[in-house]
Amino acid sequence: MAGKSGREISAVPEGGLKEKLLTWEGALVLIFVAVNILGMIISPVYNATNVLREMPKYLAEAFMVFGMGYILVLGDIDISVGSIVCLSATMACFAGNAGMPFVLVALVCILTGLVCGLINGIIASRFTELPTMIITLGTQIIFRGIAEVSLGSGGSISMNNTDGLSAIASKIGPFPISFFILVIAAVVFITILAKTTFGRKLYAIGSNQTAAKYAGIDVQGIRCLCFTLLGCLSGVSALFLLSTLYGANTTTGNGFEMEVIAMCVFGGIATTGGKGNLIGGFIAAFIIFCLKIALGQRNINTQLILVIIGMMLILSVVIPAISAAIPKKKKLK
Amino acid sequence: MNVAEDLILELKGITKIFPGVKALNNVQFQLRRGEVHALMGENGAGKSTFIKVITGVHNAEEGQMYLNGKEVHFKGPLDAQEAGIAAVYQHPTSYPELSVTENIFMGHETVKGGIIQWREMNEKAQELLDSLDADFKATDEVGALSVAQQQMTEIAKALSSNAQIFILDEPTAALTANESEKLYGIVDKLREDGKSVIFISHRFEDMYRLASRVTVFRDSQYIGTYDVDGISNADLIKAMVGREITDMYPKEKIELGKEIFRIEGMSRTGFFKDVSLNVRAGEIVGLTGLVGAGRTETIESVCGITKPDAGKVYLEGKELNIKKPEDAMKAGIILLPEDRQKQGLILSWGLGRNVTLPIQDELASNGFNDEKKERELSKERLEEVDTKAVTIFQPASSLSGGNQQKVVVAKALAQSNMKVVIMDEPTKGIDVGAKKEIYEIMGQLAKKGYGIIMISSEMPEIIGMSDRVYVMRNGRVSGCLDRSEVTQERILELSMEQGSSGNGGKTA
Repeated sequence: MAGKSGREISAVPEGGLKEKLLTWEGALVLIFVAVNILGMIISPVYNATNVLREMPKYLAEAFMVFGMGYILVLGDIDISVGSIVCLSATMACFAGNAGMPFVLVALVCILTGLVCGLINGIIASRFTELPTMIITLGTQIIFRGIAEVSLGSGGSISMNNTDGLSAIASKIGPFPISFFILVIAAVVFITILAKTTFGRKLYAIGSNQTAAKYAGIDVQGIRCLCFTLLGCLSGVSALFLLSTLYGANTTTGNGFEMEVIAMCVFGGIATTGGKGNLIGGFIAAFIIFCLKIALGQRNINTQLILVIIGMMLILSVVIPAISAAIPKKKKLK
Repeated sequence: MNVAEDLILELKGITKIFPGVKALNNVQFQLRRGEVHALMGENGAGKSTFIKVITGVHNAEEGQMYLNGKEVHFKGPLDAQEAGIAAVYQHPTSYPELSVTENIFMGHETVKGGIIQWREMNEKAQELLDSLDADFKATDEVGALSVAQQQMTEIAKALSSNAQIFILDEPTAALTANESEKLYGIVDKLREDGKSVIFISHRFEDMYRLASRVTVFRDSQYIGTYDVDGISNADLIKAMVGREITDMYPKEKIELGKEIFRIEGMSRTGFFKDVSLNVRAGEIVGLTGLVGAGRTETIESVCGITKPDAGKVYLEGKELNIKKPEDAMKAGIILLPEDRQKQGLILSWGLGRNVTLPIQDELASNGFNDEKKERELSKERLEEVDTKAVTIFQPASSLSGGNQQKVVVAKALAQSNMKVVIMDEPTKGIDVGAKKEIYEIMGQLAKKGYGIIMISSEMPEIIGMSDRVYVMRNGRVSGCLDRSEVTQERILELSMEQGSSGNGGKTA
């Protein structure tokens, strides 16, 4: 039943090098360079050695960017990850102080995160009419609550045997181990989202959940899986955070969820779902780390750093919106 | 018609064009003061659009509207409301969380010195409800009321704004017999109070019980206005459906194979009950009935979108266990959903990706998308159905309705394991040319031996394309007609509520 008009439809991909560079990711690379130049201008001690020395405590957070990116592409959100980090770190300390070998401690840390994420995922996929913002607001309070109850009146716990943690905090050349793991994770997660059928399904669900369902995609199964994955990655973050803190307390991981969401959004992932990619989120994470390090070296107040990051976040959302509106106005004339 | 009659509302030469479709074509309508006037026609005849023109929701491209003899131009619904025209829809669009009083006075609250006078408003609302013999209180929450009570709230709201013309859009469709009787009483009362009423209904009983005149629309055109006393059921049905069938429907005689698909005893509480049907290879089976008869709901359960309470599905003699949409698709049952923009397509995506979405796993190697294969296959399928597009990368939102539907068809064709195709309202809202192309594709699919189920509210295509027609009414199959015995009258008879009051409510 060939088309009777014989009309041909082009299947040649469009867009050359110019289009590829003019993306938000391209802009983020420039911003990254600019932030580093700025760092060198405002702080005399801002150099590669110092940045790498301060990097590990920030790198830990970055693992969650991948899972959060997936969740945001789905059109969902998870604001419980900070609490998951807290609970995972707490459980790992208990495990370590109970004399478990480090491999098991690491496993406890990651599994705690996985179970928390699974709980989020089960609730989100069973009660589809509930907004995930509310579900994870609930579990945010619950997970941290469990951690606080476990920590008891002291409100903190230290790892007695730090050998294992020191081992994962060690360096290969000038780079911490976590940096290499993070880069490998980045390659894997970016590739999955951009190149695989699984990644395509995430975009389909985020763009039109109903159409995705009608196309035979297991929407709720995938949502559940992604929440579990993010929980698991939060456990990984907790482990690397422990390797810099050697302990946990009731405020561990406080505010991480917002920082991680901010990195994703700054990286160009829309909270409405179906748009953006992890390359942007990954670069955005490093922009924020470098900014924090540079401003921290100048002893600039932490709160002020947050103000600056908040402003950058809003600009990152506003600028594309404005630039998208400009050509439309021209056309109207 | 009598020139001197007292017309409260008159519309002349109304034409309303939606992109690609003439929804109203030079229609006219006259409403006498104090009259109850029925507006009838098939689904899609243009009744609802016409109502929306009267209520200012749509602006007509051509035509004049006279209210009390003076020409009026409504820019929006607010203008119509201020002019005394009130519409009550089948599913009232009220604020469910608020009280009856708040709903009635929404936008025109009684205010003294900047303070809302709740007690006064509650009293006034209660008076209105009492005048309608309502069995609920003004302080009740609207969301907790039944559909009938919500409609009554809407009518009370219209009364409070001093409306003179009441438009009731299928008011009895969701009501029980008792509730309908109550509504009749209210309409009688409105008439006694000198109000004028237009109502749309598929039930002949409503018309005989209430209306003095009936206007019939068909195919977006005005057919005629008749005195209810002087028209027989048969004449009315003819007026509603009577149309010559031309070669619009390229149905070829195909040797039917053996049974390929069967559903047995499908039930889902509140939606459909004990639905059974079967399809043979090469057969086009029509599934029709009024909107809300349970056709789409049945099919969605068959395809694993919703869970049925009971029922079996057989494909080529083997029973299938369908739990989710994927199961139906893997088995080869492909659904082209009713709402192509929400269910069928991802509008922001390119055409190509839409086409290959259900089969990307099959084309992929080791979980990685094979973009080259996807591009080639989607290009081939899109050209096969003659989609008017420039590139496979343009977003689906950039196409017209007819071409969007072709993309949905291409998406189905891309699934090589397809055995049964279920098309839900495949030509809804698309222009005549694209319609015919969709029919041609259907004919070709039948020729290739697929089993086809076509759900449609459009009689001509049901009659023109189907080998057999199942008619549903109130969630049940009310009859199955062979091609040789199918007529528009028979279908209408099977799909409509039979009149029970005995005053001429028997269908022809």
